[in-house]
Amino acid sequence: MSKEALVEVKNLKTYFYTEEGVVKAVDGVDYEIYPGETLGIVGESGCGKSVTSLSIMRLVESPPGRIEAGEINFKGTDLTKLSEKEMRKIRGNDISMIFQEPMTSLNPVYTVGDQIIEAITLHKGVKRKEARRQAIEMLQKVGIPLPEQRVDEYPHQLSGGMRQRVMIAMALSCDPQLLIADEPTTALDVTIQAQILELMNSLKESYGMAIMMITHDLGVIAEVSDRVAVMYAGKVVEYTDVDTLFDDPKHPYTWGLMNSIPKLDKDVDRLEAIPGSVPSPLNFPEGCKFNTRCPLAKGKCYDVEPPLEDTDGGHMVRCWRYEHLEEIKKRGERIYEDRGVQK
Amino acid sequence: MAENLLEVNNLKKYFPVKAGIFKRTVAHVKAVDDISFAVEEGETLGLVGESGCGKSTTGRTILRLLEATAGEVLFEGKNVMELDKKEMRAIRRDMQIIFQDPYASLNPRMTVADIVGEPLDIHNLAKNKKERNEKVKEILENVGLGAEYMNRYPHEFSGGQRQRIGVARALAVDPKLIIADEPVSALDVSVQAQVVNLLQDLQKEYGLTYLFIAHDLSVVKHISDRVAVMYLGKLVELTDKKELFRNPMHPYTQSLLSAIPEADPKKKKDRIILEGDVPSPVDPPSGCRFHPRCPKAFEPCPVKEPEFKEYGDGHFAACHLLDQ
Repeated sequence: MSKEALVEVKNLKTYFYTEEGVVKAVDGVDYEIYPGETLGIVGESGCGKSVTSLSIMRLVESPPGRIEAGEINFKGTDLTKLSEKEMRKIRGNDISMIFQEPMTSLNPVYTVGDQIIEAITLHKGVKRKEARRQAIEMLQKVGIPLPEQRVDEYPHQLSGGMRQRVMIAMALSCDPQLLIADEPTTALDVTIQAQILELMNSLKESYGMAIMMITHDLGVIAEVSDRVAVMYAGKVVEYTDVDTLFDDPKHPYTWGLMNSIPKLDKDVDRLEAIPGSVPSPLNFPEGCKFNTRCPLAKGKCYDVEPPLEDTDGGHMVRCWRYEHLEEIKKRGERIYEDRGVQK
Repeated sequence: MAENLLEVNNLKKYFPVKAGIFKRTVAHVKAVDDISFAVEEGETLGLVGESGCGKSTTGRTILRLLEATAGEVLFEGKNVMELDKKEMRAIRRDMQIIFQDPYASLNPRMTVADIVGEPLDIHNLAKNKKERNEKVKEILENVGLGAEYMNRYPHEFSGGQRQRIGVARALAVDPKLIIADEPVSALDVSVQAQVVNLLQDLQKEYGLTYLFIAHDLSVVKHISDRVAVMYLGKLVELTDKKELFRNPMHPYTQSLLSAIPEADPKKKKDRIILEGDVPSPVDPPSGCRFHPRCPKAFEPCPVKEPEFKEYGDGHFAACHLLDQ
């Protein structure tokens, strides 16, 4: 893409200094987000996907956390170098965030209206009466019925889906250029999830903002993303546009993730399960961090960490042996065979 | 056709809502409201629905971890609801449960050997300590955990391994029926597949029957033979899984299927997006409970409750549209 990136994350490292040792939650991550697009970040718990977003917002608690190295360029400004005061102008104004559990991110003792009005008066400098009018308008835009009435209700009076709509209304009230959504639908039922995803897609179009969608659910990724970064153990292991990723996953981890979930339109007898579990961030293996679970790992994989390489026209993969996986895929074989019941 | 191992007839479970200083019962949460189904020996029946639909309560009421308000549960023809404490304990050997949260369902102060060995002690299945240890070791190996883990505590394990311990505990007494209540939903995607594969292997090996409760339709489709769909305490549809996914009859099932995001960006589905939220089970809507959200609701729906009946070859549904 020749367009200028809205956000450019370069070699970001965010470490946590704990009593047990240094947790390298994010360990050298690079990606860009372009204006108006949705970048999906997918990975399992502990892969560092949430910490990258908190780093962009500069919300990593310090101590124990610290942005150790790297740059986060937002429209040419390096966010890691800003003071807390300067950062406050960007947060909520240029970049907003919504979280997984809307109940814990809303203040239970204020009405939802008060909380949206606070954001609007703070960032837009308008009078309270005008802010209230705008708040009601926002609630209507996110599909809350009877917004004039709902504006004076407290978070506990709303259902989970409604609360997430309020969070979105609040996040969008100041026309941000980037919305970071951290597992926004994970706590919701599928019928409500479908409502929220549809809402986010339509708001993205009408506001022209960029979205960074963080999730563990490949279904959600396929639904909303333009480009995708797959994360494993604090690093991006595969990075490309969404169609290429699902058509031709090149990293064994991505391949495993896709084949470990049952498909609605295809019947298989056995799922391809990735063996083992994610290594502890206190104790990552030498070489490629996926080598403890990778059926293709061999020689070099145990000694040297592979770089994130451009394999073919912008399809970035961090694997020494992705060409080997290509051959296996061509033969139509499975790469993960678990031993199942040992008898 | 195989025998019915489990038969649930008109099962109801109401929870009282108490209020005021005298804690009078002012209303009831009708968590499970008159449902009937059967599970054949050796099959997996999936029970799906959204949060609050009563699917977990159904599982627990069948095992009498919760006392039913009304209805009967026949296990091998015996009414479980009428058994006394002693008989109940004996029958629990044949009916076991696996819970959702592998962190909360294992006692943190017990070693794995004790967690898996406790059911053996309760049912006197091991003559002495040596035999008990032998058995525990064998069960652990069957669920893919080595004997070296026997003396460790739950906190030393990952989520997937803990769920294996939960499975081992259920298996210890050699049950016939296992009720699996959301057994994979707390696990990471890559680990979910391990546990699903394990459950399938064990079913083949031991001839187990599963009642598999989950909200994730794609997992349920993968593991089940037949699927029952629940909405607000009622069964709305029950049929063979292939039939359900090919030909969903109930509008709720249709919208539920269309709401699942699929891991294929090229497939842009025609969504049936449901309006609003699941209503409260304290004061469920009149007539068909789904009618306020149903895109196809018509005159009889708010007034008359549709009957759950068969529409050809084991395909059950409860919807007025089907009688048109």
